[in-house]
Amino acid sequence: MVHFAWLDYFWTIAYLILMIGCGAIFYKLGKRSGSDFFLAGRGLPWWLPATSNFATHTATDTPMWFSGLVYQKGLYGMWYSLFAGWCAISAWVSTRIFRRSLAGTQAEWQTLRFSGLGSEMLRGWIAGWQVAMTMFIAGWVGIAMGNVCNYVFHWPLWYGLVIFSTLCCLYVIASGYWGVIIADVQQGITMLIVIVLVSIWAAIAAGGPAEIVASLKQMGQEEMLNPFRSSGFISGDYPLLWMITMIAVPFLGGFGMATHFDWFVEAQRIQSARNVRDASYSIWWGTAVVLVRNSIWALAVLALFVISKGNFTAEESQLAWFIIGFKYFPVGMVGFFFAAILAIHISTVAGVLNLGSMYATRDLYHHYLKPKATEKEVVWFGRLMTVVVLLGSFFFGLMIGKNVIDWLFFALWLMVAGTWLPNILQVIWWRFNAWGYLSAWIANLGICWLVVWILPAFGIIPELPDYQQFWLLIILVAVIYVPVTLLTKPDDMDRLVKLYVQTRPIGFWGPVKREAERRGLLKALHEFDRKAAEQDQ
Amino acid sequence: MPLIKRNWTSDEADEWTKEDWYAIIISPFSYVLITLGLAMSLFLLPLGFILLGIGIVLTFIMFYIIDPKLKSVSEGYEKKQREYLKNLEKIQRWEE
Repeated sequence: MVHFAWLDYFWTIAYLILMIGCGAIFYKLGKRSGSDFFLAGRGLPWWLPATSNFATHTATDTPMWFSGLVYQKGLYGMWYSLFAGWCAISAWVSTRIFRRSLAGTQAEWQTLRFSGLGSEMLRGWIAGWQVAMTMFIAGWVGIAMGNVCNYVFHWPLWYGLVIFSTLCCLYVIASGYWGVIIADVQQGITMLIVIVLVSIWAAIAAGGPAEIVASLKQMGQEEMLNPFRSSGFISGDYPLLWMITMIAVPFLGGFGMATHFDWFVEAQRIQSARNVRDASYSIWWGTAVVLVRNSIWALAVLALFVISKGNFTAEESQLAWFIIGFKYFPVGMVGFFFAAILAIHISTVAGVLNLGSMYATRDLYHHYLKPKATEKEVVWFGRLMTVVVLLGSFFFGLMIGKNVIDWLFFALWLMVAGTWLPNILQVIWWRFNAWGYLSAWIANLGICWLVVWILPAFGIIPELPDYQQFWLLIILVAVIYVPVTLLTKPDDMDRLVKLYVQTRPIGFWGPVKREAERRGLLKALHEFDRKAAEQDQ
Repeated sequence: MPLIKRNWTSDEADEWTKEDWYAIIISPFSYVLITLGLAMSLFLLPLGFILLGIGIVLTFIMFYIIDPKLKSVSEGYEKKQREYLKNLEKIQRWEE
């Protein structure tokens, strides 16, 4: 159990008051309209959603899996953290296209990109899926906090899960996305300061950077500092194909939408930015800070590796970052460290609660159940759904328990592996239609369970490493959706032309572009731009 | 034709051009070099400083190339956004 002095309690309580205060301060802005409750009125400068991106993607579980990987594999483990790299290309491609579509959610995008019954089925499917996934994420992050509180105070797991997520829910209910984004800024700054401080403390405790390098050499672990190590193409602990997968999947995924769970979170930030340029910048810079954060973390983790002589178990290594803070920070700073952990936890839970509520409200309630709902009704339903997502997160959190990392790879990677390519095709290929996309989602859901759990359990296929499962799922699911796409009709040309003119997607859109030109739409837009430019002068 | 175009009209900027592809190609390198370069620099490894330096320079070049185009895309698009939002609301309420 970690000892808390009065100054430690002061930091913790002061932080909680500050955070809930955000809800009260922005209550009036949040209740103005559905657009304010979920998108802060679509008027934010780029640095606000960028900070929110960083804060939301720094969750309680993040230092756990990152510490585990770097402690076990050294800097080579950092390639895993490059999954955030999808923003490198997305910032200049899919972010630009999505921002121009103005779709509030990825589900809403479906009714703009596709047409007819298929598009509506996709919207309902993705909305329902996202409500469930946000419950899962909030539960998973929540139970990670339960594990931290179990380590610090010896509380039962559910205390940490329920107490802090509920406090967080209060300000999300009050002020919606306005509260989320403003709280994210102070949370983002707090956590970045503490991440830097922990690494400095850890490096000092280990004798400084040069001493860490010397110790690793003495221990025969010099390779821990080599991110490019390899043990063969698919053999050994450091296969080249794993590294190629870690680079290709996120970066190429940036051409598409929804290629990673984080896309759904970013979609909300993209639409809350005040214009296309700010949306792109928010995505690029938010992720750049995430990657810088990982580099700073690596110093702390390898410092602890040296201090502990590399003797931690896999479970202990996941708590490496927390151990440094609680063990090496002086009295008074421990509370500040715990406040930063709260910031890390709450920023993610807040963002996810608001996001899940947005899908339930905008895509299910407003679009299907009550299309004529007033703005007031939309906001109140959003608040109700925030509570529903919170309650769902308790269920998932208790189900996950201590197996935080085991669930990460399956739920967030393999369960969407087969849709990775379709998520790109929906952006770059006009002929990819609603039925192809829907069949990919459904096929992947079934096949991923077969490949990961069922077939290996019966000895029909061997238990494959996760990156090999990924490529296998891509191939198997393609066998379903490619014929489905080609054997069904293309989407309605009117819908495609409208989308093309508004969003200007990249890739293979030749027939749609020619149709837009034939109808004189592009010429009319050029004329509009010319007149607007003349008026500006 | 200049290697890098820096003056754009809105309709020119709407098209995908080589400037977009420069940014698309440079951007992943920036991320990888900054991430690994900074991590290795914190251990005072010389290779780390070199990678980090290249990453920072590439980032500056990327923004130098893409920023004028993005500005132009933004300005042109925001003038039409009001009409697009009206259309979106119609789809939301099943009026279209």
